[in-house]
Amino acid sequence: MNKFDQQWRKLTALARQARDPRDTAMPYGFATRVTARSAAAPLSLSTAAFGHIAVRGLLVAAAFGLAAIAIDYTTYVTSTQTDAVVAADMVGELLDPS
Amino acid sequence: MGDDSFDLVACLERVRQRDQVASRQLVEHLYPLVIRIVRSHLPRRVAEEDLAQDIFLKMFTRLAQYQGSVPFPHWVSRIAVTTCIDQLRAQKRRPEFRWADLSENEAEVLDNVLTDERETTPGDALAARELVYKLLDQLKPDDRMVIQLLDLEQKTIAEISTQTGWNQTLVKVRAFRARRKLQKLFQELQSKEKS
Repeated sequence: MNKFDQQWRKLTALARQARDPRDTAMPYGFATRVTARSAAAPLSLSTAAFGHIAVRGLLVAAAFGLAAIAIDYTTYVTSTQTDAVVAADMVGELLDPS
Repeated sequence: MGDDSFDLVACLERVRQRDQVASRQLVEHLYPLVIRIVRSHLPRRVAEEDLAQDIFLKMFTRLAQYQGSVPFPHWVSRIAVTTCIDQLRAQKRRPEFRWADLSENEAEVLDNVLTDERETTPGDALAARELVYKLLDQLKPDDRMVIQLLDLEQKTIAEISTQTGWNQTLVKVRAFRARRKLQKLFQELQSKEKS
């Protein structure tokens, strides 16, 4: 054992002799406060869980929306072009003197 | 924790069923254990009641995770110890240790320990305790915790491992590192005292 070990042992042995004079009695209302707060905590946890699910739902909905637009885009373009052709034909028919 | 007639198992069962009265009884039963841990590891500027409250709230939040593999008070002790370490880590800055900051009694005790000139008296105990805490404040939170449990509370390496969740090799490494730092502090103090 070196000199420091001896000194440290001596100091800690002396420190251990000092008893903490403070009472370990619980402050008035402490248990009620803690219990009330812990009872409120699950509510916030469920709210957080709901928020988490809601965000996921929103993301999934957005993904579905984008997929739907991507799939339907060609149909939309084709139908727009067809409409234009039909409209042109109608005008042509009206103006056609024969 | 002095009430031997307290039925902890039954109380825990009722707490799980969200019985408020049982929850209060559980807090009352465990308060002396928790407050002792808080007081011995209390970070500076943190109110002991706030820290104790945080520990109990964590206990209730994590109650579903308690499997009964260790006694319930041990499980709560671990929550208390890790909460104290987290608080110590959050403080980051540690005050510089200076000879001038020591009280007259603390300086006398330190001088006595360093020079070994006279026998210590029981009256020196309180000053020694304060001095040890000032020295421990200089250590990293994890190292401080190990030294405090080892040298002040006289726990074994195995007990510290259980209480902190660190493996025994890590506990030994932290104890070694802490003692080396304390030795350096002692040397600095000795040189300052001489000058």
